[in-house]
Amino acid sequence: MAKVTVDGRTVEVPDGSNALEACRAAGVDVPHFCYHPRLSVVGQCRMCMVEVEGMPKIQASCTVPIRDGMVIHASSEKALAARNATMEFLLINHPLDCPICDQAGECKLQDNAFAAGLPVSRTSEPRRQFPGYDRTDIGPHVVADMTRCIQCTRCIRFCQEIAGTGELTFIERGGHTIVWTHEGRALDNEWSACAADVCPVGALTVKEFRFRKRVWWLEKASSVCDGCDVGCNVSIEHRDRVVHRYLPRVNPEVNDFWICDYGRFRAEGLNGQDFLRPVLRGASGERETNWGEALDSVKGAVDAALAEAGEGSVLALGSARLSTEESWLLARLFGETLKGRAELTVDDGELRRIRNPKARGSFEGFLKGREAAPNSRGAEAAGLVRAGKDSALEKLLAGGPAPRVLYVADAAFTYRVKDPEYVAALRRAPVLVVHARTRNALTDVADVVLPVASLAGKEGTFVNVQGRVQRFDVAIVPPPVVRTDLEVLLHLGRRWGAFDTRWTARDIFERMRGSVDGYAGLEWDAESIVGAPPSVSPAAAYDSLLAEPLSLPELVLPAAPAGGGAK
Amino acid sequence: MSDYQPVLLARLGKKSSCALETYVADGGYASWKKVLAGAKSGEWTPAKVTDLVKASGLRGRGGAGFPTGMKWTFVPPKEKRGDKPVYLLCNADESEPGTFKDRLLIETDPHQILEGMMLASFALEVKHAYVYIRGEMVHGAEILNAAVAEAYAAGLLGRDLLGSGVDLDVTIHRGAGAYICGEETALIESIEGKRGHPRIKPPFPAVSGAWNAPTVVNNVETLCCVKHILDRGPDWFKAIGRNDRNTGPKLYCVSGHVEKPGVYEAPMGILFKDLLAMCGGVKGGRKLKAVIPGGASAPMLTADEILEVPMDFDGVAAAKSMLGSAAVVVMDETTDMPKAVTNISKFFAHESCGQCTPCREGTPWLNKMLKRIVNGEGRQADVDLLLQVAGQMGNGMTICVFADAAIAPVLSAVPKFRAEFEAYVARSKKPGFDEPAPSDITPKVAERMAEGMHS
Ligand SMILES: Cc1cc2nc3c(=O)[nH]c(=O)nc-3n(C[C@H](O)[C@H](O)[C@H](O)COP(=O)(O)O)c2cc1C
Ligand code: SF4
Ligand code: SF4
Ligand code: SF4
Ligand code: FES
Repeated sequence: MAKVTVDGRTVEVPDGSNALEACRAAGVDVPHFCYHPRLSVVGQCRMCMVEVEGMPKIQASCTVPIRDGMVIHASSEKALAARNATMEFLLINHPLDCPICDQAGECKLQDNAFAAGLPVSRTSEPRRQFPGYDRTDIGPHVVADMTRCIQCTRCIRFCQEIAGTGELTFIERGGHTIVWTHEGRALDNEWSACAADVCPVGALTVKEFRFRKRVWWLEKASSVCDGCDVGCNVSIEHRDRVVHRYLPRVNPEVNDFWICDYGRFRAEGLNGQDFLRPVLRGASGERETNWGEALDSVKGAVDAALAEAGEGSVLALGSARLSTEESWLLARLFGETLKGRAELTVDDGELRRIRNPKARGSFEGFLKGREAAPNSRGAEAAGLVRAGKDSALEKLLAGGPAPRVLYVADAAFTYRVKDPEYVAALRRAPVLVVHARTRNALTDVADVVLPVASLAGKEGTFVNVQGRVQRFDVAIVPPPVVRTDLEVLLHLGRRWGAFDTRWTARDIFERMRGSVDGYAGLEWDAESIVGAPPSVSPAAAYDSLLAEPLSLPELVLPAAPAGGGAK
Repeated sequence: MSDYQPVLLARLGKKSSCALETYVADGGYASWKKVLAGAKSGEWTPAKVTDLVKASGLRGRGGAGFPTGMKWTFVPPKEKRGDKPVYLLCNADESEPGTFKDRLLIETDPHQILEGMMLASFALEVKHAYVYIRGEMVHGAEILNAAVAEAYAAGLLGRDLLGSGVDLDVTIHRGAGAYICGEETALIESIEGKRGHPRIKPPFPAVSGAWNAPTVVNNVETLCCVKHILDRGPDWFKAIGRNDRNTGPKLYCVSGHVEKPGVYEAPMGILFKDLLAMCGGVKGGRKLKAVIPGGASAPMLTADEILEVPMDFDGVAAAKSMLGSAAVVVMDETTDMPKAVTNISKFFAHESCGQCTPCREGTPWLNKMLKRIVNGEGRQADVDLLLQVAGQMGNGMTICVFADAAIAPVLSAVPKFRAEFEAYVARSKKPGFDEPAPSDITPKVAERMAEGMHS
């Protein structure tokens, strides 16, 4: 640790920090653009100017390694004038695009202009244009508009140092410098939209989100991506019950600053809701009903099965997409109260991965997922039995004895429901009940469909690949009649006197603590499971982090791909 | 001065001066052979060569005038640098406007450069040295390559040279024609195959340069001087200069309004008026108006300011300019200063590498304003605005000193020839374009703006 004095306040900062980080640790937020705690320091934007005692010239604070006893003047007249100057230079060519720019509202250029700029413009020269390099797709998800670029190279460094793919480079020189993909390449790595996240301005924007919502209208809720068991912390950004996007929430122990494109663009899927009321199917056809009748009919079928075929005649299938709390209810109700079986089956998926060399369990610099669903660990710990040889599910699929009632708590529990033979095998159960949000082959043949909310409408916890318990919160209230899986299970259970319908996810979490592996001693509100709050803007995400040592040495790749600048 | 015998250009005009044979016949490679012969016995050690260079008072001819011997001692000793190699990069990027001395040395006496590199490599324990030659110098690169091939064939480069146990390779690397690649850290990036972007310092190249190894960058002329110091000793070298801090022979690239422009060799510290006389005086006997003493990056001096100035590092610095690359651009009374400055500003706007905001944005801004002024579309406020904008680009605002170079012509010429700029503005054909910048801003900001940054 080293003692550094910033504007008269002395703080201790870790060795290896730079002056910008020291200022932040002292509570002085020095405006900056090119600095990013996970990218190499380049000192290019010249926004973070401060005075350092003993150094005659003004300094870019991000480039100054701290020394014990260093005295920094971050708010002196000279420092402020220097930042005024950089701000003025950045603005003389910036288009007056804010009214039609998606970054507006979460733009570091706006913020820093407000904090460090002058209220007047002294230029009267024509602004620079980049015909052919504006509003152009440079990959499947990212749209580039070089008139807005401030040449901070964060995106280039992201692709080189985090993605490790190096699609982007500077081309041209001086005032003509722009960022573009290398000849013949597209910005199409697994995390490409993060390049737009790190872009402080509207030069790189995410195609799927462009023109959907002014960002200041968005509300934010903490959640956890359910795309795989990495369990990236995300913020669900929504308005008027519509989810508009995911942004990463910074968690240095899990996803750091990043999320993968696959996970990010699941956000849109949260808006689908085919079932708005419970559905009953019988000899007389299909009809919508109310919850009372739907749940009573499930109870009737289960009671009849127990009376006629006895213990073990009811099989519940959980899902690695249910929260641990939901899985716990399912296991209690079907495994214990109803003396049946509560099982679980999980798809292996394409491996998702996130660059985070410091994360527990990371391998070759990446934290890697193993399954295409977020919570098999929590579900198993809560008492669901992984279906294997001799499980009731395997027997059913293999043509063995069928349970009298099959209760599927997530109609999309496996990709195999696309396979008609698989569905037919499940349908061998005389009564088939499903929780569902969207229509699929299984909901088409179920006797009872119970409409449930998406991840955005629920709260609970998942256990990720590292064994880490992570909480997700409610973002939007589901449509009027739709309920969460948790509520459905509580109301169904109450019919046998098993649960109290007033229980919340938190109550269940607290009940589980005594018996569920990994949950002992955890607090619902503890930071360790809640993670960081959603940040104001993607580019500003790291502002929530205090000073950390410069860049991680493991992150710096040996050399940039050659050939940059050819044009 | 007339009895001065050229050192660096001694072989200029000789037949086949580029050939190894003629070079050796003229006493070339004697120092290299002497050092190699004494390497095993310990008669010649790297420290001994470095000490001679230090004692000579040699200062770098690339622009900054940094003492060469001292620069060499910044390379960490073997105990500290471990297995890392040390690199010597000969800076032959010569792109400073008005500078053409290195090219002459390359095209007329390449072995002189190579011998200087060999001796410097010995002093620095370099096993692989490079010449980074400006892309446009195609002919020069061919000559250097031929000279290197000759040196290998003669056993002066390669392994275990003349049985001394010393190994040395030299590679000629062509740039792609960017001025900024003459800046030593940009040169290093470029030689590594990357864009020519200057690096932030620290670390300094001597500690971590090319491929993260200790690296010394020296100018062509500097390395030539090393050869002569080893030939004739530091005392002889020192005796040539004006004083202990400004020593040795110096090449001056004189261009502009003189009768005989060209490269002139003279003792370091020759008075400007004597140098002018060597060139036959101002063209057509006209009056001298201004001089750029050290390449486009150096502040302009008026005739009065420069006539008696000794043309060496300290002499020109005392006159508030710099010797730089000793590119002396002479301007007579017919010169239109605003147009001259506009022309220079175009060069800098074109050559900025573009990484730092103030330089990337400021150099074209200055150029656009100047163009507007000379095209008769200036505003009254523009003259001060030029100074204010230039005033907030340098002095630490950027990664390298390119920006400081880019503003020097503006910051010197505008105050010194202000009337000429104002005359343009007064004739402005853009009526209504002459309001000053808005004044209804908060007093504090107005104050800051008025002061500029480095008041
Ligand atoms: C913008 C810029 C351009 C430069 N161009 C050259 C050049 O063309 N040739 C050169 O020798 N030095 C050039 N230099 C100076 C080098 O950075 C470096 O100081 C020099 O090569 C060191 O050699 P010396 O110690 O022998 O002078 C330039 C510096 C700057 C800032
Ligand atoms: S596109 Fe964005 S992140 Fe990339 S250099 Fe430009 S401003 Fe920076
Ligand atoms: S890595 Fe997994 S958890 Fe993270 S965003 Fe991608 S799919 Fe979601
Ligand atoms: S000052 Fe100019 S040339 Fe030097 S690094 Fe910055 S942008 Fe490049
Ligand atoms: S943040 Fe320090 S120079 Fe960009």
